[in-house]
Formats: sequence, C-alpha cells, structure tokens
Amino acid sequence: MALLTGWAAFLVSVGTIGCIYGLLTLGLNVHYGYTGLLNFGHVAFFAAGAYASAIVTMPPPSEVTNASYQIWFNLPMPYAFPVSLAAAAVVGGALAFLIGLTSVRLGTHYLAIATFALAGVFSDVLVNEAWLTNGSFGMNSVPKPGRAMLSADVWQLSYLLFAAGSLLAVYLLLERLMNAPFGRLLKGVRESEAAAKTLGKDTNVVKLKSFVIGGMVAGFAGGVYAHYLGSVVTAQFIPAVTFTVYAGMLLGGAASNTGAVVGAFTVVAFRESTRFITTVYNWIQSTLPDALSGVLPTVFSPLPNNPSFIPSMRFVVIGVLFVLVIRYRPEGLFGDPSEIQALGEED
Amino acid sequence: MVLDNLIQTFVFGIVEGSVIAVGAVGLTLSYGVTRFINFAYGEFLTYGAYLAVFIAGGLFGVSLPLPVAIAVAVLLVGLLGVAVSRVFFEPISHRGALPLLITSIGVSFILRNLLQGWVGVDARQLPVPLLRRKDYFGVQLTELEVAVIVVGVVTMLLVHLLLQRTMLGKRMRATSGNRSLAEVAGIDTQRVVRQTWFISAAAGALSGVLYAILFAPFRPGVGFAYLIVIFAATLLGGIGRPYGAMLGAFIIGIAMNLGSAYLSANYTRAYAFVILVAVLLVRPEGIRGGEF
Repeated sequence: MALLTGWAAFLVSVGTIGCIYGLLTLGLNVHYGYTGLLNFGHVAFFAAGAYASAIVTMPPPSEVTNASYQIWFNLPMPYAFPVSLAAAAVVGGALAFLIGLTSVRLGTHYLAIATFALAGVFSDVLVNEAWLTNGSFGMNSVPKPGRAMLSADVWQLSYLLFAAGSLLAVYLLLERLMNAPFGRLLKGVRESEAAAKTLGKDTNVVKLKSFVIGGMVAGFAGGVYAHYLGSVVTAQFIPAVTFTVYAGMLLGGAASNTGAVVGAFTVVAFRESTRFITTVYNWIQSTLPDALSGVLPTVFSPLPNNPSFIPSMRFVVIGVLFVLVIRYRPEGLFGDPSEIQALGEED
Repeated sequence: MVLDNLIQTFVFGIVEGSVIAVGAVGLTLSYGVTRFINFAYGEFLTYGAYLAVFIAGGLFGVSLPLPVAIAVAVLLVGLLGVAVSRVFFEPISHRGALPLLITSIGVSFILRNLLQGWVGVDARQLPVPLLRRKDYFGVQLTELEVAVIVVGVVTMLLVHLLLQRTMLGKRMRATSGNRSLAEVAGIDTQRVVRQTWFISAAAGALSGVLYAILFAPFRPGVGFAYLIVIFAATLLGGIGRPYGAMLGAFIIGIAMNLGSAYLSANYTRAYAFVILVAVLLVRPEGIRGGEF
C-alpha cells in the first residue's frame, strides 16, 4: 500500500511542478498565443533563470563537492530569495532580448528554427562553460528558502503555496496586460503585420517586447524551479521541456491564460503519474488470485522489457496529444476558435 | 604542416558536408511541395541508421550484407515517410503551415519514442570495419570516408537529374511553384506530394546511414540532435531550394570542422548556427534566392 501513503506528497510535488510549468506556459502563451511568434527555444529562458538563481545564491565552491564554478554570490537566505527571483526574471528577459534581436523579425519557419537552434547552442554553453555553470555536474547546493526553519513537510506545503501565489500573480498581471492596449497591439501584429505597420506601429519592436516579457516569465519560472529542487543540472533543460510546455498550451488553448494554466497542470499531472504504472501493475498482480496470476504477464509480454519503455511511451502520448489537438480541437479546451483561425496562416 | 592540416580539415568538412547535403536536400524537397518545415525529419535519419543495423544484424530472420541492408532500410524509410504523410499530414494539409509544423513536432515525438521504447537507449553501431587512413593526393582519408563523399555526390547528381530531366521532377517543380496552377494543368498534386515524401524520407534515411558510418555509435536521439545542423544548411540555402541546400551543406560542414579544429571542439553545432544567423541578418531569404 505504499501507493496511498505517498499520495499527499505526490500531490504536493505535482502541484508545485504544475505551478512552475503553468508559469512557463503563460510565458510561451505571450509569444505564441498572443503574438504568433513560434518560439521553439523556450527552455533556454527557463534554464537561464534557473542558473541565474543558482549563481546568485550558491555557497562558495570550497564548501561544495565537485565544484568548478568560479562565480558565486552566496547571498544569505531567506532575504536573498526575492533578489534571486528578480535576477532569474531579468536574465531570462535578457536572453530573450538577445535571441529576439537576431530572430524576431524572421518569418514563421525561420523563427521556429532559429529559436530551436539558439536554444541548442545555449545548452552547449551550459554544458561546456563549467566556470559559470559547473558543467554537466550541475549546481546542486542551491539553498531552499526557509528550509532551515521548517520541517520537510511544512516546507513542501509552504513552497507550494508560494508557487501557487506566484502563478496567480503572474496570471493576473498578464490578464491585465493582454486586455490593455498593449495586448491588443500584440494580437494586431499576430493577425496582420501589414495592418499594424500601416497604423504606424513598429512591429519588430512590438515582437521584441513580447519576446522579452515571455522570456522574463520563463526566467522567473526557472528561479522558482531552482529553489524548489535545490539543484540545477543541464540534463533538466532539454528540448522536450519546450515541447511539453507547447503540449500544455495547445491542450489548454493558445491565447487563453486560463487554458495555459489548466493545460500545464494536466500535462504535468499526466507526466508525473505515469511513474506509478509499474507500482499499480505490481499491486494488481499481488492482489490477483493465484489462478489468474499468469494473465497480466501474458498480456504484456510482447512489450519490450527495457527500462526506457514507460518513459518513452509518456512522450509518445504527448506527441499524440499534439497531433489530436491540432487536428480535432485547434482551440484547445479554453481557446477562442476565431483567435486560432487568425494564428493559422501566415507566410 | 600548417597548410596540410588546413587542407585535411577542409576535406573532413567536405566529408561531413556530403552527409548534411543528402539530408538537407531531402528536407528542402519536401518543403518545396508541402510548404512546411518537417521537424519529424530527424527521425528519418534515425530510422535509416537503426533499420540498417537491424537488417544487417539479422533482426528480421535473414542477415543481409551491409550495402543491401542499407538499400532496404532506405526504401523502407521512404515508405514510412509516405505513411506518415498520409496518416498525419494530408488530413490537415489545407490548414496552412502552422498546424502542419506543430503536428510534425508531435510526429517526431511519436516516432523517436516508439523506437526508444522498443530498442532502449543503448548505443548501436553499423557493422563497418575500422580502417586505416590512406593517402589521396596528400589528404588522409579512409575508404569509407571516400565512399561517403561518392554517395553524397551521386545523390546530388541524381536529384539534379530527377528535377531537370524527369516528368516527376517537372511535376514537383510545378507543384512547388504554384500548387493550384499545377492542379489546373492536370497534375495529380496529391500523388506528387506522396512521391516527394518518399524521396525526402529516403534521402533522410541515407543521410542517417552515412552519419552512422562516420560517427558511430549512435542512440535514438541521433537524428533529432543532428536536425539543427541540417536546418542550418537548409536555411542557409533558402528553404525549398535544393541547389542552395547542397551549397549550404558544404559551407556548414566545412565551417563546423574548421571551428572544431581551430577554435573549440565543444561548440560544433554553434558554428553552424553562427554562420546561419550571420547570413540571415544580411539575406533573410538565404544565399540562393530564386526558383529551383
């Protein structure tokens, strides 16, 4: 019955990661949903934020095993927490500014590929520049704010509350911004760049602003993530993160902030719960009467018996989700079909 | 000695450029008629390499000699490309580029992870012998590396002849130039699209096999990781321009090898992209504008 005792812990961790992915999805939604920018390198902004937080708060290398980083600030917790999160947002926004500067004016395909590739290059930098990032070993002593004062369970719950509060704050902020004239300008650029230009708007500047705002939100999410896990490793920041965020956004509905959050939670809950498939299998197997004990192994025996089978199938399901949502419900759960129509064609 | 090294690095760049060129031409041909960049293209490389290993290794009962196994693998992946197009892309082909592009991401996840779930993440390699380099006009190459260049050049020639001398090539060019006009002229464009998918996926598979010959061992993520390099060559040449893609591929291959040899081997992919971004800033349509 180990399955049930872990339930509360599982829900709290899914909730916290859901909030972080909710933030990421809100950021991407500014790019893709509201401005029509096909950003395939979102994970880079997330990583930039996480590393910024780590660098700001990591203890000196002499106190950490396997340390090769040479820049650290060791700001004292918990007062450094807001500083660290601000740094994460600023660095995420700065990277978005740099990437956007070169690619934001490109057409759909060029932008998608340029962002995808620049994110790949950025991850090469994270792996190779060990003086800054500690290489592929990662920064594993990122302080957890308030952990010293609270018991493990209370800390987990408090951090969940904090993450949920941040998500709510960013959500309200973006809702406000997207209903303001600026949000309408973004949609205007999405629907017709030519029309926006005719009205005297510099569309490249508008796109760049959108890119930076979304990048800041993703960077902030990186900061929240770094202080939650207490460790930042390059292997966490792979393209699959970007596309998981896309899956959440498309499922929830592009250009809908509510949809972005719901979609992110759904995808994260699915991804995390597949961990229990083998537990459930073993549990069912152990409760079956002896006469039936051969049934399950026979049913599942054609499946390959390798450890990467279930993790791989998880991504197959996410891939299928992409295909089905785009084909049968392009507006997702909460999107507005007419807005998606406007997103569709451009070239 | 300095000059010898430079020439040697340059030739290695041409070897890798041949691999990239085969892949980039396949990608750009499919863009020509479908009008979207296929993010699932990398999986054709992966499937080509894996199928070649499996067929040569006797997975399906008979163990074929490697060249035959490669040919069978390339044809099978071509058929896979047609199947993928019919199942995933044709039903939404009227909806514009964006839905197709996003669907291709989903398809790449499905294909890559099905393979990974089936064979695991262990590294594989093609049964090719380890060869000593020989001297060709002062340049040291293995026979396999020479073979890769030959296969690359022959593929380029075949694509050239296909486009310029065959009816299929003319239909492809017509469909690429203006699909509705081609239809009015009596071309069965859906058929052309399928034939193009076959050629595109087969070229991808061949590129994957060449990659596997040069850079063994490989894992299921190999094609997706190399996609960035192929994209760089494709964009550099201007999307949908086969001759541009060939040229772009050799530039990227040479740049990557020069960069790795003289700057730092850690940033191979970055060199491809620095060049690309630099070119895009000056000429957003790629080095070779105009129709093919």
